[in-house]
Amino acid sequence: MKKRLGMVIDQERCIGCEACTVACKIENHGIEGWIRVETQNVLRKDTPQGRFPDLRMNFLPQLCNHCQNPPCVDACPVEAFTKRKDGPVILEDEKCDGCRICLEACPYDAIIFNQEKEKAEKCNLCAHRIDQGLEPFCVVCCEGQAILIGNLNDPASRISQLVSKQATFQRNPEKETNPSVYYRPPKQPRDL
Amino acid sequence: MSGIEEIRKIRTVCPAHCGIDACGILAHVKGDRVVKVAPADFPNPRYRRICLRGLSTLEVTYHPDRLKYPMKRVGERGAGNFERISWDEALDTIAEKFQAIAAKYDWPAVAWVLGGPGAGTTKFGAYLRLASLTQSTRVSAWGYGDSALPCGSRVLFGSQFPYAFLFGSLFSSPSAPEILVVWGANPGESQPLNLMRPIMDAKEKGALLVVIDPRFTVTASKADVYLGVKPGTDTALALGLMNVIFRENLQGEAFIQKHTVGPYLVRTDTGEFLRAKDIGLQDGMDYIIWDIVSESPRSRSTANVKPATSGTYTVNGLECKTSLQLLMELAAEYPPARTAEITGVSPDIVTKLALRIGSAKSVNFVTHMGFTRTYHGDISLRALGTVATITGNVRATFGGGHLPAVLNWKPFLHTDPKKPSYSRLGILQLYDAVISGKPYPVRAVWFSFINFLNQCADSSKIVNKMFPELEFIVSTDLFMTPTARYADILLPVCSYLEFSDLIPFPYPYIQLQEKVMAPLYESKSDVDIAAGLANRLGLSEYFYGGEDGFIDLILDSKDPSLEGITRQKLKQGPMPLKFLPKMDEVMDIPFSTPSGKIEIYSEKLREVGQALPVFLKPLETPLKPEEKKYPLAFIQGHSRFRTHSMYANVASLLKFNPEPVVEINPQDAQERNIADEDTVTVFNDRARTILKARITEGVRPGVVNISEGWWIDQFKEGSVNHLTHAVINPVQEKIYEPNMHMNDVAVEVIKYQEVES
Repeated sequence: MKKRLGMVIDQERCIGCEACTVACKIENHGIEGWIRVETQNVLRKDTPQGRFPDLRMNFLPQLCNHCQNPPCVDACPVEAFTKRKDGPVILEDEKCDGCRICLEACPYDAIIFNQEKEKAEKCNLCAHRIDQGLEPFCVVCCEGQAILIGNLNDPASRISQLVSKQATFQRNPEKETNPSVYYRPPKQPRDL
Repeated sequence: MSGIEEIRKIRTVCPAHCGIDACGILAHVKGDRVVKVAPADFPNPRYRRICLRGLSTLEVTYHPDRLKYPMKRVGERGAGNFERISWDEALDTIAEKFQAIAAKYDWPAVAWVLGGPGAGTTKFGAYLRLASLTQSTRVSAWGYGDSALPCGSRVLFGSQFPYAFLFGSLFSSPSAPEILVVWGANPGESQPLNLMRPIMDAKEKGALLVVIDPRFTVTASKADVYLGVKPGTDTALALGLMNVIFRENLQGEAFIQKHTVGPYLVRTDTGEFLRAKDIGLQDGMDYIIWDIVSESPRSRSTANVKPATSGTYTVNGLECKTSLQLLMELAAEYPPARTAEITGVSPDIVTKLALRIGSAKSVNFVTHMGFTRTYHGDISLRALGTVATITGNVRATFGGGHLPAVLNWKPFLHTDPKKPSYSRLGILQLYDAVISGKPYPVRAVWFSFINFLNQCADSSKIVNKMFPELEFIVSTDLFMTPTARYADILLPVCSYLEFSDLIPFPYPYIQLQEKVMAPLYESKSDVDIAAGLANRLGLSEYFYGGEDGFIDLILDSKDPSLEGITRQKLKQGPMPLKFLPKMDEVMDIPFSTPSGKIEIYSEKLREVGQALPVFLKPLETPLKPEEKKYPLAFIQGHSRFRTHSMYANVASLLKFNPEPVVEINPQDAQERNIADEDTVTVFNDRARTILKARITEGVRPGVVNISEGWWIDQFKEGSVNHLTHAVINPVQEKIYEPNMHMNDVAVEVIKYQEVES
């Protein structure tokens, strides 16, 4: 079976530090980091939900989902997006004419408009690195070791094991895009 | 090779966080410019790490605001007006000034005020060497908030650090503890940063994670159980836990017998340990136990005795209790209901946690300095350690987790055996030395790798009383910090990519911080600056060889942990320290306390009523807010966006976190009619600090938090340390060194407009 590169992001291990965001900007020179960390269910980052001391705070790093059925590829009128055979959805910025149709098409808000260049940009799964056998830079720099990359079509890979054996979820499954980024939700806290 | 286009990769170290977390850095160099930093590999991949600050390295090195050349002050101190001068003029001026001050007041009147030693070995050593050779004053960094932890650890364990005893096995053991209690520390965002991975690994393997903190931190967000304790009441919480543990008879008798002073008899008339001489036994000063077999007192070294751990006994007409008995009686005063009233933690949780700790196979206590930055923080550490001790959760054997000390300063000192070494002052003692000449006058200070004014207690006292008394101030810095503005001579220093150093972290590795690029502008390394001054003081022979010479000086110091480690070998990558105990090696650690045991009872401190870890009220933190003029407890958490005041001027990090805010609970905000984002005044008798309010459930009601490290100029008015006090705890001064109590401060918060109208 052909390769399907994907990710598992472990919310249990994500400490919301945003090193991934900083790392992405350094590696890819985007207008901002293409992976962003949301604090879930609250309006303001880094604040918990609930009432003191019964509180929860979980982080959800978000990036391009490298969907199996990527709406951006179909939507782009100039064919700047391609779905690679091994999984990554690539946006070639030299082809982008800045029409912003893809921003509307993506259900995950994963495409960012670079005002300076007047072009769309997004995570390419660090294709330039994975082609050299390196991990994406956010994976390398993740403080919590919460971001894993691997081949979802290889049942022996660590991320396939996680997806098959543990409860994981994809964002907005109802959109039927079949994301290649899976999330492992945080564990329920145990009582004393 | 094309040269220009080729990227060279050089391994170095980011030493930013007082050292102990120091990450390996792979600098990518193109021509003479560093174009990228990445985390460098370690033999154990768990150690390959970097954080968002380390990733921002190049924004510091190439920051447009870098100080570029030596300068002298023109105009008022603090106004920030400087004029460019040459290095020769700068160093000549400093040498002349220091010599003139020394001629008038003697050399201890010149003080070297240095930041954390872990932040670099040679740069710290260079100034220690100058202090040692001139017999001037070294101002210790411990009192910046870090000395209460060693104060407590010295009393209880006889060691500077309690870490190996309390959580050493997190590094060494393949299995996880049953319970992991993170108490008064936030490794998810602050030191010890390198513990967050082991903590999460342990939780994954099944450890129950308990976090105790007045703030719901990132670390707390990972907890199974969160205890939002009131600041300054940790000792009461520990006594409450002990209350239940003793009540249910869950203490570890065998451990207490073997490793603690628990069975030793204490005279109730004097509070001293009963000694052999008191009851006419031989062995004069030996400690006495009550043998339950013969029902008689025996010296502890007697063979075949069974010491009683608890009880009251009359020996030669003297009433005695075992020291554990005294601890039990103290703990008996803290049943869960009373503990809850003091600490704000529910009685049910106190009881359940105590039962779990008391019955668990193994518990690790991860702690650091946050909760010890209170007036009695040394006792808080002892109380926590005592909970670990009575339940047998102290690693009293080498098990691979003992952290050997490798910061060996001796090679830098006593360079002339005829001369004594430097004088030493704690940071709070420096205030008095400058302001009132006690214990001796200090008239000139040299600040290096320290943003003194920004980070030390009671800023107004520093600006209005301390600085005006100083005849001469030198500062070496990368930027025009709030402290640098007050310098008479300001010297530009290198960022870590521009000089070499030896970094004995992270445990168990030692790393070479290799110079990656030439110093920018006219900046110099601290070692070169110290050498330049040494030349002018006739001490050049002691500063031969620059940073590399000093690195070799340490590596050749015959320290057993450094055996076989050379600078050349370190260029290939980090090396583990030698002399590490093997995993399976079990041997008792002789505690360096007076008794050689863990001192749950400290005879020395009986005179000040602190022989036991007694709960004493905080200095300012209001336990009963309604009775207080300033009803809110003010604390200073640490932010992931800064390392103290470093990185506060990094643009990409300011995008995430643009300005200081005071975090306040909705309940307290509502009472004060404060809305989110309102500009508010945080004040007490010392000062007012003006900034935006952030309303969040993340702080306990009755507590407000402003994260430390923001520069004074980033506030509308005041700063965190305008609110703090520089009060010395004399007990800490006696044990080791007085600490700053930045988490023991009372304030009130009101809307800014109300003040103005």
